[in-house]
Amino acid sequence: MVLSGGSRVIARPTDRNPVAQLLRTANETMLGRSLEFQSSTGASVTLDVVGRRVLRVTACHGLSGAEACLGAEVLEDDHKDDLIKLLQALAAPHHELRVISGPIGRGGAEVSVGLPVALLADLLLVELNEIESDSADAGGAPEAGPDAGPEELPSTGTSLTGFAQRLGPALIAWLIQGGTEDGQSSGPDEMVSHLVGFLEDERDSVLRQLDLMCDTPGEPVCLLLGITLIEGHSIVCARAQEALMLGVVEGDSTQSALAAWRGPAG
Amino acid sequence: MSVPESLGAVVKAFPQARLVAFADLSARMILTSAGPMNTTQEHLDRLCHQARTCFDDPLFSLSVEAFGEPHTAVVMGPANVRVFLRSEIEPADALCCICDPGIDLPAFVAKIRDTLDRITNGG
Repeated sequence: MVLSGGSRVIARPTDRNPVAQLLRTANETMLGRSLEFQSSTGASVTLDVVGRRVLRVTACHGLSGAEACLGAEVLEDDHKDDLIKLLQALAAPHHELRVISGPIGRGGAEVSVGLPVALLADLLLVELNEIESDSADAGGAPEAGPDAGPEELPSTGTSLTGFAQRLGPALIAWLIQGGTEDGQSSGPDEMVSHLVGFLEDERDSVLRQLDLMCDTPGEPVCLLLGITLIEGHSIVCARAQEALMLGVVEGDSTQSALAAWRGPAG
Repeated sequence: MSVPESLGAVVKAFPQARLVAFADLSARMILTSAGPMNTTQEHLDRLCHQARTCFDDPLFSLSVEAFGEPHTAVVMGPANVRVFLRSEIEPADALCCICDPGIDLPAFVAKIRDTLDRITNGG
């Protein structure tokens, strides 16, 4: 869709993976171009792109952490983590993303340096050839069943209370801290108070640990941790948006947790 | 059966396993892998790092204090399910797997437990 002012919508609020659309757009650019990506959050990032490589970041508005990239005449390998964080922050889920293409900002169109878009895609586990699941309308929930194939797990908006309820009686104690569901809990007082005490001391460390398990920082994630997960007790720890859930499950929790994480249809 | 053949057998038995990798967690290295997923060395390095993170504090200590040392972890994200399994005999040996969400997880965990035990025992 091309809008007035030369901007083109590359990701709608219903798109599941807007950063993938951003990278695909950059990957389409063979001749030197300046691509200004604008999010409906108000943030924007402008990249000089040529030959499927990102040469530099020429402008950034409404986002923090862009200094290192903005200061680089040509992006190098050391900048890739900062650039990825910047693009992920820009391509926030549930917001429209547009691109405006213009002449490349500075010289260097002929330079074959910079960061390959394919490298960024690899690091983000993005398939540069568009796949249906990335652009599917979130309003149409995927069919979820054991034989449904490579469907998506929930990406955002996961209710941790709903997740806990779907886990059923196997979840013998749990609590949620943070977010709109802060304070929700269930189970024997002694177990819940132990979980509360643990999170009082370790909440930040737990969040860091979960972040290190994610493919994308801040994404919803759930960890089951136990001796076998098939018998005995295991720990379940999940994060969705600002909320953190910690609980104890009893018995074989693997399939029930997976189904619960996939949502009501799972 | 060699390690690559063992991993290949897991992928054959569970088509929804996109990647099954054998790692040395102490060396922070994926030694070999099987499966249809296209990966780069950086993918594999990150997967190994995620495995180490699962079996690290603070949640590792919580588990140890409450129930005993954990050897199995399942990480569910927006796009896939990752299963990490450490050997009970040689804790540095681990299997790191990326699966589609529709996988029969209990059966898969049992299968890779058996596979890892055989690898660690040398056969």
